[in-house]
Order: sequence, then C-alpha cells, then structure tokens
Amino acid sequence: MKDELERLILNNQHSFQNEEPLEGHFERFEARLQKASKPTRKFDFQMVLKVAAIVVFALLVVNQARIWLTPEKKETLSLGSISPEYREVEFYYTNAIQTDIKQLAVFEKEGLITESEQKMMLKEQKEFDQMYQKLIEDLKANPDDERVINAMLEYYQSRMNVLSLVINKLKEVKQHKRLHNEINI
Amino acid sequence: METQYPNIHHDAIERCRKGDTQAQFELYKLYYKPMYNVCLRMVGNAVEAEDVMQEAFLKAFTKIDSYEGKVSFGAWLKKIVINRSLDQLKKRKVKFEELNEKIPDEEPVGLEISEIQMEQLKKAIQRLPDGYRVVLNLYLLEGYDHEEISQILGITNVSSRSQYLRAKLKLREMLHKEELFEYN
Repeated sequence: MKDELERLILNNQHSFQNEEPLEGHFERFEARLQKASKPTRKFDFQMVLKVAAIVVFALLVVNQARIWLTPEKKETLSLGSISPEYREVEFYYTNAIQTDIKQLAVFEKEGLITESEQKMMLKEQKEFDQMYQKLIEDLKANPDDERVINAMLEYYQSRMNVLSLVINKLKEVKQHKRLHNEINI
Repeated sequence: METQYPNIHHDAIERCRKGDTQAQFELYKLYYKPMYNVCLRMVGNAVEAEDVMQEAFLKAFTKIDSYEGKVSFGAWLKKIVINRSLDQLKKRKVKFEELNEKIPDEEPVGLEISEIQMEQLKKAIQRLPDGYRVVLNLYLLEGYDHEEISQILGITNVSSRSQYLRAKLKLREMLHKEELFEYN
C-alpha cells in the first residue's frame, strides 16, 4: 500500500527531527518560567488582601452593630457616663440624696411631718425629677457640653441642699418636741 | 501506584512535581528539541512553533500531577504539544476537511533522493496548506492512525483518509513544480 513518497518520508524520519529553535530560546523560556512561577505568589497576595478586606469589613459591621445597639441598651445615660470622675460625683450625690429621702421617711413614720408638708415635699420631689429628665435629654443631645454638665452638678447640689434644709428643720422640730415633752413630764 | 514507566530523568520529574523551577528548566533542555520539531511540523512556522512548544512545556508543568507514569514522560509531553499545536491551528481557523471533492487516483512516481533533496521535501511539506500538512504529519510522522486522527481533529474517519490522499497529491504536485526530480 505504501507508495514511494510515503516510503521516502518514513525512511528519512530522522531528517524531520533535526530542526533547532531560533537562537535565544533558552533565555526566552527561562523568562517565561520565572513569569509563570510568580503569578501563584501574586495570587496568594491577592487572597491575603481579600481575606484582610473581609476581616476589616466584618469588624466594621460588628462595630456599626454595636453603635446601633448600645444606645437602646443604655437608656440609663447619666452624668456618670461622661467620665469616671463624674461617675464618682454622681455616685456621691445620688447616695446622699438617697439617705436623705430615707431619713425623711423615718421622720414621717415618727409623725413629724404634717399632711400638707408631705404634699408640698412630694410636689418638690416631682419637680426635681422632671428637671432631671430634662437635663438627661440635654445631656443626650450634647454629651460634651460643659454647660449641661454644670447644670447637672447644680441640680444635684440644689436637690441635696433642699433635702438637708428640710431634714435640719425637722431635726430642730424633733428636738423642740422632745424638750417640750420633757418639760411636760 | 501501578507499574511505573522507567524514566531516565525520574529525579528531575519528581522535583518538577514540587514546583522546582531548576528541574523544570532541566526537563526543557532535555526535551525541547524533539518537542520543537513536533511543533514545527504541525504549525509550520519557526516563531509560532517555539511559542507553542514553550507554552506546552509550561502547561505540562502546571498539570504535572496528572502524569501517572504509565507512558514515558516524552510521550506524555508530546501529546500536550500536539494538542497545543492544534489549538494554535484552530486560532487560524484551519479546516481539516473538504467535502464533495473527488480524489483522482495517484500516479506512482519512482523516486530516489539525496540529503539535499530531502531538505527540499521538508520545505515542501512546510508549505502545504495547514489542513493537509497536519493530517499528513500526524499520519506519517507522529504515527497516528486515521481513527485517532479523526478523533483528535473532530472529523470523520473517511475525511481523514481523503484529506491525507489530497495532501500527498498536493505535495507531489509541488515537488514536480520545483523540478525536484530533475536531479534524478
């Protein structure tokens, strides 16, 4: 079946194997090898960038979520939320006011306070509470405003002053009554 | 693993698997010549042949894990080279079959040939139209049969045969024109 042409080619296969590539092919291939081995590193670098971007994004989302969620949780904004020093001040005043109110309750039990006096004091306390709510609103709007902070301090001071004034007066009354009783005996 | 083909350059191949650039270059030095010649016969142009051959080497290195050692490394590499060459030819939109054409019977010509004339024959093959050259090359020099050729080129067995016959006719015609046989 094989014709002359086929036989000729088949018998001279070696002469179809002896071509050399153009000069410089080793260098060209080496360059391509270098280039081919780099992209994997580049790809890894891109992966690192992607992971970093995801991490940063996740952190931002968490932070944003915290910002959104905290004000709802922190309905109890007060002077103390501004700084540790103010927390101490706030703690001092609220404590003092609390003891004074307790003291008043004791006097009331002892029958030192008349009904009309009681009503007046309740009204006063209510006014103070309203003032406090207003100050908290202001503080929420301007947490760093020196004037609001000062107003809060003044509020605590005057509330405490009023309470101690009342208590001192009641103490006097109590003293007076005891003396009066002793004289009567 | 099953029976491993005893490659002479087993060591370099193993280092290649680990991505050793040095070993890759070693293998290139060992195999570039036969691979270049395969490429050149397929694409018929020195610059393109080098490009395709080097691309095939790079491709082979990236998928070296798929070399299981059932055939020689050279045979495995050659398959990649041939596939890359065919891809290159597809870019040129080479047609591997022509329909409805009668193939005249061959007229046998007696030939005797010297080395110089062999060079001319090679050049003539290079100048064959791409479709003809590829089929002739795959059949005569790469040792594929028509069944295999029809598979890798995506044509029918009959097309492969007729394309081969046309290629031979064309080659003969070219050789006559060049008066190659004048020397006889």
